[in-house]
Amino acid sequence: MSPTTVLYVAQALHGLAYGMLLFLIASGLTLIFGMMGILNIAHASFAMLAAYFCFSVMKLTGNFWAALVIAPVIAGFIGVLTERFLLRPVHKHGHLAELLITVGIMTLILEIVKLFWGTESLVVKIPENLNGLIRFAGLTYPVYRVFIIGLSVVVLGFMALILFKTRLGKIVQAAVSDAEMVSSLGINTPLVFMLVFGIGIWLAGVAGAVAGPLLTVFPGMADQLGMDAFVVVVVGGFGSLLGAFVVALFLGELNAYGIQFIPRLAPVLMFAFMALVLAFKPMGLFGERE
Amino acid sequence: MNILETKGLYHNFKGLEVLFDVNLQVREGERLALIGPNGAGKTTLFNVITGNYHASHGQVFFKGKEVTKLTPHQLTRIGMGRSFQITSTFARLTAFQNIRQAVLSKNKIRFQMLKKLDKMQKITKETDEILKRINLDEQRNIPAGMLSYGKHRALEISMALATNPDLIMLDEPTAGMSRDETHTAVELIRKLTEGKTVVIIEHDMDVVFSLADRITVLHYGQILASGPPAEIRENQAVKDAYLGELEY
Amino acid sequence: MRTKLFNWILWGLVIILLAILPKLTNYYYLNLFLAFVIYSLYAVTLNLLLGYMGVLSFGHAMFFGTGAYTVALVLKHIEAIPLLPTILAGGLAAGLLAVILSPLLVRVSGTAFAMLTLAFSQLIFVAALKYREVTGGEDGIGITNIPPLKFFGIVSVDMTDKINFYYFAVIFVALCLLLLWYYTKTPFGSLIVGIRDNALRMDYLGFNLSHTRAINLIVSGTFAGLAGAVHALLMKLVSTVGVLDIGTCFKPLMMAYIGGVGSFFGPILGSGILHLLEDTVIKFTDRIGLVNGAIFVLVVLFAPQGLIGLFNTLKAKWFPKEKVS
Repeated sequence: MSPTTVLYVAQALHGLAYGMLLFLIASGLTLIFGMMGILNIAHASFAMLAAYFCFSVMKLTGNFWAALVIAPVIAGFIGVLTERFLLRPVHKHGHLAELLITVGIMTLILEIVKLFWGTESLVVKIPENLNGLIRFAGLTYPVYRVFIIGLSVVVLGFMALILFKTRLGKIVQAAVSDAEMVSSLGINTPLVFMLVFGIGIWLAGVAGAVAGPLLTVFPGMADQLGMDAFVVVVVGGFGSLLGAFVVALFLGELNAYGIQFIPRLAPVLMFAFMALVLAFKPMGLFGERE
Repeated sequence: MNILETKGLYHNFKGLEVLFDVNLQVREGERLALIGPNGAGKTTLFNVITGNYHASHGQVFFKGKEVTKLTPHQLTRIGMGRSFQITSTFARLTAFQNIRQAVLSKNKIRFQMLKKLDKMQKITKETDEILKRINLDEQRNIPAGMLSYGKHRALEISMALATNPDLIMLDEPTAGMSRDETHTAVELIRKLTEGKTVVIIEHDMDVVFSLADRITVLHYGQILASGPPAEIRENQAVKDAYLGELEY
Repeated sequence: MRTKLFNWILWGLVIILLAILPKLTNYYYLNLFLAFVIYSLYAVTLNLLLGYMGVLSFGHAMFFGTGAYTVALVLKHIEAIPLLPTILAGGLAAGLLAVILSPLLVRVSGTAFAMLTLAFSQLIFVAALKYREVTGGEDGIGITNIPPLKFFGIVSVDMTDKINFYYFAVIFVALCLLLLWYYTKTPFGSLIVGIRDNALRMDYLGFNLSHTRAINLIVSGTFAGLAGAVHALLMKLVSTVGVLDIGTCFKPLMMAYIGGVGSFFGPILGSGILHLLEDTVIKFTDRIGLVNGAIFVLVVLFAPQGLIGLFNTLKAKWFPKEKVS
């Protein structure tokens, strides 16, 4: 490959890796919205929390793989508790109160993170075998990014299995398209909400944990990931997994190429695009519900 | 003369045809009852006429002018009033404040930012008069959401009337009322709509036959029959489709 | 009559207190007090949307920030411009932004409104961050020359004097608040509340929802811009973090909610509490965000009508009025 092609391919892979991370976060966000009608402003904060957990578990055990498994699970568990003790009580006050409480949770997580881990950027060391470079047809590429892409595919495949093959998945699918139906079928909605919220946070946690070594772990992480994931969900359509997937990849690539070619315009374009979509298709490009 | 007329009105909702070539005529000054089984499209017809939904085909004429594309507030301003089947008031505002909103509209006060509303004697007086006429003066300062069902319905109906419309469309004004409440409501409607054109959706046949000058029967989104009460009562098609069911 | 007299006495005391405050305290507390005053106005403008019209502006900082940046840019590029035109330019610019956005914003409500305002504010935030030749990027624009206040070209009051500026800012903000309070009491104010409670009914009563919503949005945006303009002069620095970032969007929201969105004075109370808290907490810990966040979450959980709402509920419980059926 010529050097220019190599550059393009490398950027495309960068974009893909970031896009997949975004999709991991956004898929949970969009499922929670579709199911519960809550836009969880604190979603990326949980991802950040998982990144910090990953750092600490790694420090304690020295085992990256253990950290990668444990951190998202703890985050998911905290998500379950959050749903049970913070979101459920305000459910009766309507969506505005739910939105506001997630704002509060976002603030709290940020402050707690600063309290326990400080404001410095923390570096998560990755194991030797992930730290290398892949050489292929003139292209040198970090193994870790390929690992991110691979892991995302595995996690998403696992999610697809849950969504399409289990009873919980069927309920979630039904609820996203018609929320009233589920409660009328006599399904224990609070339990389902709690599970969905937990799984959504777990997904974000996986993304946060693997993103740690890539982005370094710092208190601004939630803002960066959160804004991008938020754009993905809004543009892709509230509650639409397909939309989230398409837009996450697009955004990943925009991010990768944009930084290369139009560093100033790229973020502006991103938000302008989102504002336009919202203004003319308030439910997003792939959103169906009014 | 027809104050309201629809020509070949169609409406479909998610691919389902709810209204099917509806040609409705309402003469000035008459009281027309719109009846039909549940799901016949009566409320949909109201929504299309009053601009809440837009017809997929066909036209609506009001006072001789085409109004098919107008919105509810535009239609209200040219003299159409509407009440809802499910009570739709300002639940947190008092009965007085509820009626006052309508009185403001009637007086074309829409962008007044220079006077304090409490100091506008004319508005207050007019509002209190209406409250007295509908026997709600004692409940003046009670939030609408806390009124008894009958009083709340009365508030609902009078808000539609307070803008002083020429054509009044009432969607099941007596829905969910007890016998006594229904009786009071019918008397109230009779009193308040004196000399006006009224279209009323109603299930209670006693109310229909006591109030209406003419009846139009809607069935599966189509007009089945139209005529004076006595004629409708004897109409075989109507009996088959609808009245028969009512006698259980 | 007694409550009326009581009110007059109360307001008299407030005015006297405001007048002698510079004698009672030092510059640090004077600045803190001004920050409270300015944020009160900002939070009240947010509440015109949240409490009165029932829509949540997640990006109100775009109006506040536009006002602030306009003041900084005007002072940087136009020489010898007097004080009032500078501040009014800030309000006007923010109002103009509201005019431009209103056709899009009036079409949506609920979550979509919150998201759309957040999107636009982020758009402006990122633009201000990236186009540094105009905005100074992260460093922002410093304000070195606060112009004097001039009346009819005769009287000129030096505004670099902290005490003079204090009086000016307090009077200016108080006038804005008075205007807004009056605004909520007019027929138009009652229409906004009507839209909050039942938009469909308002439509059927003959009110143009879009126009009514748009006007309230423009009023809210303009006054938020004025708050930002005075804030810029107080801080003497306008940078993205501080007037446009997400924190600046959420701060008035917390104030309004903690004080109580159901009352005009709720956001003012909220602003007072948060500023007082900041000053107190900072003596013990610098985790002010943690305290604020915790209080906010507690209020949303247990007192959704804010402290004023909580107070009214308790009052009704302990001193029940005669029941009317």
